[in-house]
Amino acid sequence: MATNYLAKRFGQAILTLVATIALSFVLYHAMPGSPTESLKNVILSQQAAAGGSTVNIERLNRLVALYTNVQPDQPLYVQFYQYFSSIILEQDLGTSIYENKPVTTLIFERIPWSMFISVYAMVVGYSLSVLIGAVMAFKEKSRFDSVSSVVLIGLNSVPYYIVGILLIYFFAIQMSWFPYGGRVSSSVTAGFNVPFMRSIVMHAVLPIFSMSMLGLGGALTMRGNSVRVLGEDYLRVAKLRGLRGSRIATQYVGRNAILPMYTQFMIGIAGVFSSAVIVEQIFSYPGVGLLMYNAIQTQDYPLLMGSLIIFTTVTVVAIFIADLTYGFIDPRISAGADNE
Amino acid sequence: MSVRDEIFEIRNLDVSFELNRGASRVVRDVDLNIHREETLGIVGESGSGKSMLSSSLLNAVVEPGVCSGEVTYYPQDGDPISVLELSESELKRFRWEEVAMVFQGAMSSLNPVMRVRAHFRETLQDHNRDIPAGLERARELLESVYLDPDRVMDAYPHELSGGMKQRALIALSLILEPEVLVMDEPTAALDLLMQRSIVALLDDLQEEHDLTIVFITHDLPLLTKLADRLTVMYAFGIIENGTVDELLYNSSHPYTRALLAATPDLNVPVDEMHAIAGSKPDPVDRIEGCSYHPRCPIADEHCRSSEPPMATVNGTHESACFYHEKAREAVPLRGDSKQEGAVHE
Amino acid sequence: MNDQESDDKVDLEELFDSSVEHEPTPMGERVRRTADLTLVAPARVALTDWRAVVGTLILFGFFLAGTAGVVLVDRPTSGDAPILAPPFQNLNYILGTDTFGQPIGAQLIHATPAMFKMIFAGAVVSIGVAALVGLLSGFMRGTVVDTVLMSVTDIVITIPGLPLVIVLMAIFAPKNPYVVGVLLGLDNWPGLARTVRSQVLSIRQESYVEASRIMGLSTGTILRRDLLGQLMPYITINSALASRRIIFESVGLYFLGILPFTTFNWGVLMNLAYKGGALNRPQMLHWLIFPMVTIFLMSFGLVLFSQGMDSVFNVRLRARHASTTSDNSAMDQGQGDGDV
Repeated sequence: MATNYLAKRFGQAILTLVATIALSFVLYHAMPGSPTESLKNVILSQQAAAGGSTVNIERLNRLVALYTNVQPDQPLYVQFYQYFSSIILEQDLGTSIYENKPVTTLIFERIPWSMFISVYAMVVGYSLSVLIGAVMAFKEKSRFDSVSSVVLIGLNSVPYYIVGILLIYFFAIQMSWFPYGGRVSSSVTAGFNVPFMRSIVMHAVLPIFSMSMLGLGGALTMRGNSVRVLGEDYLRVAKLRGLRGSRIATQYVGRNAILPMYTQFMIGIAGVFSSAVIVEQIFSYPGVGLLMYNAIQTQDYPLLMGSLIIFTTVTVVAIFIADLTYGFIDPRISAGADNE
Repeated sequence: MSVRDEIFEIRNLDVSFELNRGASRVVRDVDLNIHREETLGIVGESGSGKSMLSSSLLNAVVEPGVCSGEVTYYPQDGDPISVLELSESELKRFRWEEVAMVFQGAMSSLNPVMRVRAHFRETLQDHNRDIPAGLERARELLESVYLDPDRVMDAYPHELSGGMKQRALIALSLILEPEVLVMDEPTAALDLLMQRSIVALLDDLQEEHDLTIVFITHDLPLLTKLADRLTVMYAFGIIENGTVDELLYNSSHPYTRALLAATPDLNVPVDEMHAIAGSKPDPVDRIEGCSYHPRCPIADEHCRSSEPPMATVNGTHESACFYHEKAREAVPLRGDSKQEGAVHE
Repeated sequence: MNDQESDDKVDLEELFDSSVEHEPTPMGERVRRTADLTLVAPARVALTDWRAVVGTLILFGFFLAGTAGVVLVDRPTSGDAPILAPPFQNLNYILGTDTFGQPIGAQLIHATPAMFKMIFAGAVVSIGVAALVGLLSGFMRGTVVDTVLMSVTDIVITIPGLPLVIVLMAIFAPKNPYVVGVLLGLDNWPGLARTVRSQVLSIRQESYVEASRIMGLSTGTILRRDLLGQLMPYITINSALASRRIIFESVGLYFLGILPFTTFNWGVLMNLAYKGGALNRPQMLHWLIFPMVTIFLMSFGLVLFSQGMDSVFNVRLRARHASTTSDNSAMDQGQGDGDV
């Protein structure tokens, strides 16, 4: 049963990737005019800037093929096969028109930074929401509980990028506690040394906090789950058995209350990665999101599609890892049952 | 032998809940002795306070209930323990080591994300017991409740049937070798066959482990098979006490007699004994006089104005009725004449 | 709670009617009954929940601004007033003005209709697709259609929404608010689709449905009768959450400058103020703050409304189907993909 479940999830992950690649191919063709038409101007302006001479249509097609892996003069299915196989087999996402470098190279330089802030944002957001939700449940109907609910509803109503702007205003500009942009100070030397590490952390704090707002919505769910678990028979029996308080809090309340949120967390992964696009722009944090933003400004379509595919890949992998670990956390999953 | 005969002595026990519409007193001024190594059956309608009484033996009345009075536990050796005055950490030790409890929610009494083995292990660990030896004992206990230790120890709760869970829970309740086992409607959710087999099992376990068992139920027929002594509760207090035979054949409180009369056949359990005329009392109300007077056929002015004390009927048999001598004629049981003949011959 | 009982009685009567000879209920009666069930009864319960009341008031305020406000307040143009007038000084531009001398309050009001158009289009698309997919796969459970639709749903859940939307916006550069709304709604339906599907499945299993089936009613009739009532909570709450999401995303995209600046939009205001360095210049701060407050207010209204409705519907559902074990509120299910 368990292997069946995982096989299904694996198949789904693969399918999602294929679908995204197909989608990006469709989008190339859905551009106003054909990919040739829409890219022509972009390429021409690049050429002109580089001082190149006039280009004929064949040369343009070759250039389009070089940049995008889409060969406009071939039949559609051949185009798709070539596009698809160059991505899967050669890990070739095309070439950036603006930077004139392979898209994969550009993206892989940036990915660790986006992962860094996204992962920490998730960890911070989810831990905070679990913690706050649990405390609210333990102190149900107390002052803390009612005040927190209102605060949480309020936070739910503030987009994370506004939180980001406010954080910059208060903690970077007014207090000068943190830098308000970039990923590392230019004054420190790169390498495995303390000032460099410290600078990286300081630059990451504000982006991480503004992205972690996305996870806070979970606090109210956690509260509800904990209240339910606190009323369960097994909790009463655990107390009757004279178990330690810390064990009851973690193994009994914590575990049983967090489990139903696991799916929500998994889906949330996609949301947090996505938010990098806006947050990185606000904080000028040079990750994949900012790369994507710049690609839009320069109409660098290969880079744009490449970023979309990479974003999807990272999300799919993260969700698949979460799926793999789910079985360890909830024994009931192996019992099958697509309980909806 | 200097060991006392009583293992529990309850005096003036009150349990109350603060509600919006006033204090709800769900146990009122109860005195009760529990003898060592007996099986005491506590019977009463649902809502009569019997679960609260049993929870107070472990000072485990659900929040926000408040217990007052005295619950004294006399260990085999050592000083008496006043259960309601134990500190948090003393209480953690007392529970499960001296008194264990199995209650009606057996179906969901185990943590769904932990194997059965982990339940035994954590209990042993938090009570500072030797874990390998304890787990060996757990296997023996599981065997003695007719479970396959190899299978059950590694199972998650959802992989066990209701009866298996209930038996695993009984094994778990005995892991720290407690003196007293409190069972609050442990068989309520099980089918007849499983009920009977668990009752038979308890008999064996009691003998083997020198247990004192307090068994709470509204299933009177079940108790008559299992218990040595019966305590009948009505409206948050005890109204009659005595050996099973005394209570079955010589009950002297109109309520007990009505209860027996409402039970058609002692071999068939009834779920609710609501065949008695009148309605259950509200725990918020103050009760004037005898709590049973509104439903009692022989109640008079005396019963309405003052509360009857426990009066000795015969040996250890006590009844809280002014007219316990008259009760027999006033509330006849079906087949009474035949039984009477049998008893008096 | 008296409505409750009468509702149930009506259901029962209908049931018995149909077993003998099915006479359709008169149209007027049916409309009155539906109105009572879907409007009057919830409204009565809603009045007792402060969140529902406050949320509705806020949303009504925005509705007024978007309709009457646009007529009453002149469309702002450059040079209407002195540039960068501070707020709360002059009644004609009470929230101050921007660097072009346009009153900020008037800009906020004139941005509201476009916002409503976006929300409307987005909500219609996401709810419509969700209902279609959910109903279809619920009805055809176990068939190829079901499998395909659910796979597509899972894929769309996984693809990171924001990068996809950004690529779409970059390629199509939509100017019409309805089109923006549709594009934003495109990746917002999977959560609700799954809910609709599981509701269809659960209704099929309920005992009274079994009974009506035995009495000779077709499954289709039964589902039509009960489904709407059952789905209303999810649809209402999901609409509110989808609206919040569309506000967050559209404002975010305008703020980033990815969407073309054709109309007034709160995000455009923020973009101009932010790019103009409002964070560092106290005299410009109000230009940035008031749009943020507006966004907060509107989403606060939506979140309050959805939470209030959640408890309203829960009370009603609990009263109607006390036997069903659904502890999950519609809120929990909507929340997973409500983030971003």
